[in-house]
Amino acid sequence: MDQQQAPRFFIHGPSPFTRLIVFSTLSLALMASDSKFSYLTPVREALTVMLQPLQVVANSPFVLFNNIGNYFTSQQALRNEVEVLKKQAIFHGVQLQALESLKNENDHLRTLMEATKVSSQPARLAEIMYTGRDPFSHKVIVNMGEANHVLAGQAVVDAAGVVGQVTRVFPYTSEVTLLTDKELSILIQVERNALRAISFGHGRDNTVNLPYLPANVDIKKGDKLVTSGIDGIYPSGLGVAIVTSVKTNVSSPFAQIVAAPIAGIQNHRQVLILSSDTTNLVAKDIQQVLSADAKKQLDKKEKTSRRSDAKP
Amino acid sequence: MPNLSRRRVYFTLLVALLLQLLPFSGWLLQIKPDFLLLALLFWLLRAPNICNIGIAWTAGILMDLISGDLFGQNALAYALTAFLAVMYQRRLILFTVLQQSAYVFLLLFVNQVILLMLKSFSGSEYFGWTYFVPSLTGIMLWYAVLHSRLSINIMTRQQ
Repeated sequence: MDQQQAPRFFIHGPSPFTRLIVFSTLSLALMASDSKFSYLTPVREALTVMLQPLQVVANSPFVLFNNIGNYFTSQQALRNEVEVLKKQAIFHGVQLQALESLKNENDHLRTLMEATKVSSQPARLAEIMYTGRDPFSHKVIVNMGEANHVLAGQAVVDAAGVVGQVTRVFPYTSEVTLLTDKELSILIQVERNALRAISFGHGRDNTVNLPYLPANVDIKKGDKLVTSGIDGIYPSGLGVAIVTSVKTNVSSPFAQIVAAPIAGIQNHRQVLILSSDTTNLVAKDIQQVLSADAKKQLDKKEKTSRRSDAKP
Repeated sequence: MPNLSRRRVYFTLLVALLLQLLPFSGWLLQIKPDFLLLALLFWLLRAPNICNIGIAWTAGILMDLISGDLFGQNALAYALTAFLAVMYQRRLILFTVLQQSAYVFLLLFVNQVILLMLKSFSGSEYFGWTYFVPSLTGIMLWYAVLHSRLSINIMTRQQ
């Protein structure tokens, strides 16, 4: 080894300053290309897959701990849980029957109004593997990726409401940005008065903001915010947040509205990824409207032609 | 200076990376020290012929991958911090544990400030003072490791 020949405390090779210049330039170039172009996405995907085994090893103690905890839950606890779940199932079953008839009725009414039907979106259950390493970005990694046909932009929900949105898809995992992240905004509607607005993640506390609303806006503490469904990503009517405080500042023309998310974004193992085929849905809607219009025009023409036929 | 093998350095760096990958959440995540940077600084000061700025940069790229940040953010911060460490390396190894810890604390702090600047360029808000807590816990860990002579164990144990 060359270490043995020369005194070991001298650093060989290029000087630290040269190295610093080389590596700084390299990382600046990487940052510029990553933020402006998307050349590096495949590289990132490949490297993430390579890091996957390390990820699994790091997660294993926690998974093992959970599994052991599950194994030693007492029979009594399990029995209690089964009882509660059975009661819930009966309760939900009754509600479901009502829902079925309501849905049919709603579809019927919508066809009468010539509005498009609300399509139900298939969902798949994904498990949260771990939360992001950066405490200031609200992101989680779930165990479904390209292999499970997850696409970036799909909505992620739980039983109570919206959790967030898939922002980055890797081959076997994907990154979900929570609705409290600064980067995520959702089109919402106040349930009480159908007022439309946009909610932005706060970023630090686990809350969302409603900026850009005038100081005299009709939003009260306790109002429930639901998705409006205009964006085509989230189906309409999903719970998003409940308003916790409305403040008006004399110096600002806008109200400061803070809301707490309904979905248990902090304490979850499993979430639902809604596979919204948004582009197709929009295309279908447009086609339906167009075909309806065409039909009307044809009908009109027929009528007029009949009239003209009848006259002579 | 004991005969340090490359394998041992890389092994400790791998362990540090694994510690970094542990799925912490909540307040534990807030106070989690930068294990990888601490390991890097440890070897930068003790084995500069094995662990250099290039290794620090590579580790930074891995951190970018793990955290899903912009490519090169952590790499740049690590490379700059490693440079500051290497610059005074020959003087630093003569310092006492306490003096060394003070300098390492400065390095950890500088690393976070660089990251903060890069993150604010790419559109993050100011995070509040809790952002700097990992520096404090990091230096505590550093001092504990050096004081308990665990470090000598790491360096001298034959594989």
